[in-house]
Amino acid sequence: MSAPSAIAGTPPLLRASLKHEARSFAPWIGIATALSVSSVIVYPWLFPEAVERRRFAATVGANPALGLIFGPAYDLSTVDGFNAWRSLSIGGFLTALGVIFIVVKASRGQEDSGQAELLASGVLGREARLLTALLMAGVCALAVGVVSFAFTVLCGGAWESSLLLSAGFTVTGLMFAAVAAVTAQIASDARTATSIAVAVLGVLFVLRGFLYSVSAPRWTAWANPLGWITETRPATGNHWWPLLLGLAFAAVFVAIGFALQVSRDFGQGLIASRPGPARGTARTPLALAIRINRGPVVSWSVAFVGLGVIFGYFIRTVRDLFSVNPALAEIFAKGATLPAELLAGFLATILTLIGIVAAIAGVQIVNRVRTEELEDRAEPVLATAVSRSRYLAPSVLLAFAAPALFILIAGVVIGALAAAAHIGLNFGYSPLQAVATIPAVWTVVALAVAVIGARPRVQIASWAGVLVSFGLTLFGPSFKLPGWALGISPYYHVPHVAAGTQDWRGLLWISLFTLAFLVIGFAGFRRRDVP
Amino acid sequence: MTERTTDAELVIDIAGLHKSFGDFEALRGLDLRVERGQVHGFLGPNGAGKSTTIRVLLGLLRADAGRVRLLGGDPWRDVVALHRRLAYVPGDVSLWPSMTGGEAIDLLGSMRGGLDEGRRADLLQRFELDPSKRGRQYSKGNRQKVAIVAALASDVELLILDEPTSGLDPLMENVFQEVLEEAVGRGATVLLSSHIMAELETLADRLSIIRDGVIVESGTLTELRGQARTTVHADLATLPAHEQLSMLYDVELRGHRLTATVDSDRIGQAMEGLLPFGLTALTVEPPSLESLFLRLYEDEQTPDRR
Repeated sequence: MSAPSAIAGTPPLLRASLKHEARSFAPWIGIATALSVSSVIVYPWLFPEAVERRRFAATVGANPALGLIFGPAYDLSTVDGFNAWRSLSIGGFLTALGVIFIVVKASRGQEDSGQAELLASGVLGREARLLTALLMAGVCALAVGVVSFAFTVLCGGAWESSLLLSAGFTVTGLMFAAVAAVTAQIASDARTATSIAVAVLGVLFVLRGFLYSVSAPRWTAWANPLGWITETRPATGNHWWPLLLGLAFAAVFVAIGFALQVSRDFGQGLIASRPGPARGTARTPLALAIRINRGPVVSWSVAFVGLGVIFGYFIRTVRDLFSVNPALAEIFAKGATLPAELLAGFLATILTLIGIVAAIAGVQIVNRVRTEELEDRAEPVLATAVSRSRYLAPSVLLAFAAPALFILIAGVVIGALAAAAHIGLNFGYSPLQAVATIPAVWTVVALAVAVIGARPRVQIASWAGVLVSFGLTLFGPSFKLPGWALGISPYYHVPHVAAGTQDWRGLLWISLFTLAFLVIGFAGFRRRDVP
Repeated sequence: MTERTTDAELVIDIAGLHKSFGDFEALRGLDLRVERGQVHGFLGPNGAGKSTTIRVLLGLLRADAGRVRLLGGDPWRDVVALHRRLAYVPGDVSLWPSMTGGEAIDLLGSMRGGLDEGRRADLLQRFELDPSKRGRQYSKGNRQKVAIVAALASDVELLILDEPTSGLDPLMENVFQEVLEEAVGRGATVLLSSHIMAELETLADRLSIIRDGVIVESGTLTELRGQARTTVHADLATLPAHEQLSMLYDVELRGHRLTATVDSDRIGQAMEGLLPFGLTALTVEPPSLESLFLRLYEDEQTPDRR
């Protein structure tokens, strides 16, 4: 930052912004805290005996699919070790996601909406807006750390490891606030800025899990900023100094962000928009829906090729994993003894994870309908000869078709890689398992259609399906939930196609829910006011 | 609202329309009639209920109570059939950020049922609009031009325009008035919501003034003027006492110059009253829409004022 005049007006702007936006910090603070607190409360209750803890450590800790998300399990036989494994990477990821939204909304988003222009003409330094955005993100990241630490210690977490864990959340948040400060300068609008920052976060996150799980060389962990956070190893090593690397990373990216901001014009990005066609080819609601969602669908497709490659390589190592650790059978297929059944269960778990991610894309497309309404773009379209149903249907169609395509892409890639490795899994199984997973994804997406169609005021509820199925799939088994509770997740009903016996009736049941959700969504959308 | 016409001639026929959002009553018994071929001005400040009325007419909002007929149909039920026959320019035009203006015009035109190619090209030229720019690059005025071109390039019976010129410069506003007059010449009916008085004085055949969700005045400009007061500026030789000026309102004396308003049908009486004081100069301004509008709204703020 140059002269003080460049940041003039920051304190009042920050105060006003915090007053309006601080409430939106709550979910991010709440989720990270809940993660950590629930670990320290539930673990002793579930596993009171040392023997049980060791068995749990052996089974869950070695599950490669879980390792992808949570990172390496150093010690699952203590409360704090368990908490560190279960919370560190996910809590950091969510904090990072939160601050990315905060920074882009408060900097780039303000420019797009024109609010910033109003402020920029007042007594406000050039760099005050970006500084305010970063300070807001800093406040949020710090609040995540402080609140999660306080509650974790209150609920029985060890002092030092809990503090280090919470500091890990905060530093992850600071790093990605800085990344978002840079992408907000590069992109030509807020949506693109968010997408790029989230993509960076997502790639680094998946890479971290993948490289730890396949025991890649040590330097790969240090090449990844998220790896530094993992290397703090709360409860098993308590290394503080990697956090300094994170702070340095944040400082460098903040500096780059400010440097880029100075060199660009207000409201423009480094990637400028070029003039486009003077005539349009999109002439129907379907063409419009495709046009609106084209960019995200293409990016997601590429992401799913990547996911397929990662999981495909994963499945090739499965035989080694089984021979080293027979206890894996417990997770992937209860009571299964044949390698084929193990493999079938493993494949189903992997495609469920892919299905959960695909559902995110679907729910996003459904939520886009609401965004169009709120930003007054649905109004002129609905003022033409387009009925409510004809307006909603193409987006729903796309929200169903796109995730189906994504799962198939990943399924085919995994199938090809698995078949090439000769591990006893024919090429066809993986795509078939992908097809079997699609109806479960549709149930989750249809729930979002029901919410957006009938009760858009509770828009956040459209994500309920994704959150619940994610929570039940990942945390359900480790918390020994009963079958009926696990069955709330539609993915629980997906048959294992590579196993000998299959039960397809579950898919029929969840599809009835899908149908009901769709009827609610369309009926509601026809009856309600827009917006 | 003095004369009644048969329903067949009414393009818009609203009676007793109510609409609430939660506790807030946006419309409380609104009546509005627009005859075929009219340009009907819809005047009122922000928040009075103009856009809400228009959204009910477009079937975007559902009426809580009242009768709403649009082009002889039910705007909530017969959406598709009715919307083929009308075009709409919203007050806040928001375009798709990555779509060009030309693409948006073609998209909206096609979904309405096609547009007139020749007129599309003509309008683009007259409004000096570059159709190859992306939505996010347009200024407010240019976004509005995109919406105006998209609406006027179609042959429709009814144009519903919600503050269509609030972002246009004076030159473009002239173009807009020309273009709208051409549309009326082709037989279109227009509901023009605005708070730009000059525009309504030029274009509107009839006016309805809305306040707090009800129509408080409706009629032709002349009818409305008849109810408004004329402004009088007079230079007087001798100063009158206040009680000698009972036929005048808003009296203001500055030196020998008197400024006051008078009911339009009592101008003669006022002149007679002023003559004894040695009238040396006199200007009489006919009531402007603006003064009428201001009076209607001032009355609310100070209800006891004479």
